[in-house]
Amino acid sequence: MTASQEITQIPRPSLASLEKKAYWLGLLLLASGLHVFEALMPSFGPWFKLGLANIITLIALQSMGAKAAASLAIGRVVIGAFFIGTMFTPTFIISLTATLASTSVMLISWRFIPRISLIGVSLLGALAHMCSQFVVVEQLFIQQIALYYLLPPLLVLSCATGWLNGALATYITAQLTIRSR
Amino acid sequence: MPIRTTLTSMHEPDPSSTPSLWHWLKGTWVDRILLLLTLITIIMGWSWIQQNLSGTPMVHIYHGKSLLAIYPLHPDKPIHFQAKGDIGLSEITIDSDGVRITHSSCVSQRCVLSGHRHRIGDILACVPNRILVSIQGTQKLALDAVSE
Repeated sequence: MTASQEITQIPRPSLASLEKKAYWLGLLLLASGLHVFEALMPSFGPWFKLGLANIITLIALQSMGAKAAASLAIGRVVIGAFFIGTMFTPTFIISLTATLASTSVMLISWRFIPRISLIGVSLLGALAHMCSQFVVVEQLFIQQIALYYLLPPLLVLSCATGWLNGALATYITAQLTIRSR
Repeated sequence: MPIRTTLTSMHEPDPSSTPSLWHWLKGTWVDRILLLLTLITIIMGWSWIQQNLSGTPMVHIYHGKSLLAIYPLHPDKPIHFQAKGDIGLSEITIDSDGVRITHSSCVSQRCVLSGHRHRIGDILACVPNRILVSIQGTQKLALDAVSE
């Protein structure tokens, strides 16, 4: 068997499959970039971030499904930590755990709550992210219940950012759909 | 210019059919119910905490589970306390402005940048060093009493 015959026998992925992978990779890079950008931005306060990278997870959830969204969320935390230089630090542990919790909540709510939109999904995700951060910090690092005094005002802020991020994700998804027609 | 009009209409939505900002922000009725329930729960929890936080404000300094020191929030002269944490020392200053972390061994220095805290219920935390500074009232929160 010649080399050219061997090459022809390798199954080639379909163009649609390659396009899907490229689209996912593009979203992953965008999400990682936003993750790093947010880490470098001046902080709006301790424990609080805008969650801009989550917009990309929501877009992936809407356009590519649950599996793609989950892998994208985890991937961007790992890549982001690599570039920020927080790999395996407490910040990374908190970030990864909170992302896992919020992504799980988002996927479950997207799957099981009827008539929920990306806004509601984002709202629940933001709340889950904030609560899980506090639980991880309280369980692993600070171990004082007084920590939870700070939670209610931050949850109010999470509601606002979660809602706005969801609205932004809905808008971007709609625009992408219009332009791809 | 028929060709240009056609190309433009292919790539850009007709401005007259573009939904308003409210369209993108309103969400579905399920989203709005979720928001309402969440806000009610948060406000109830917040007011419960506020009701239980009263009395003379005292600064509690913890390393993990261990209580390192308790000081009054408004001392006669400034207090400088060095708390030994997991990665080094955190210096805590209590003065007329309140309490703040003036120096920390952590890389991010977020605890130092947090500035002063002066109300009951406020906290300062250095997660890498596992140091928590909490302003608590002399009247204990029911939650604390249960956990002890």
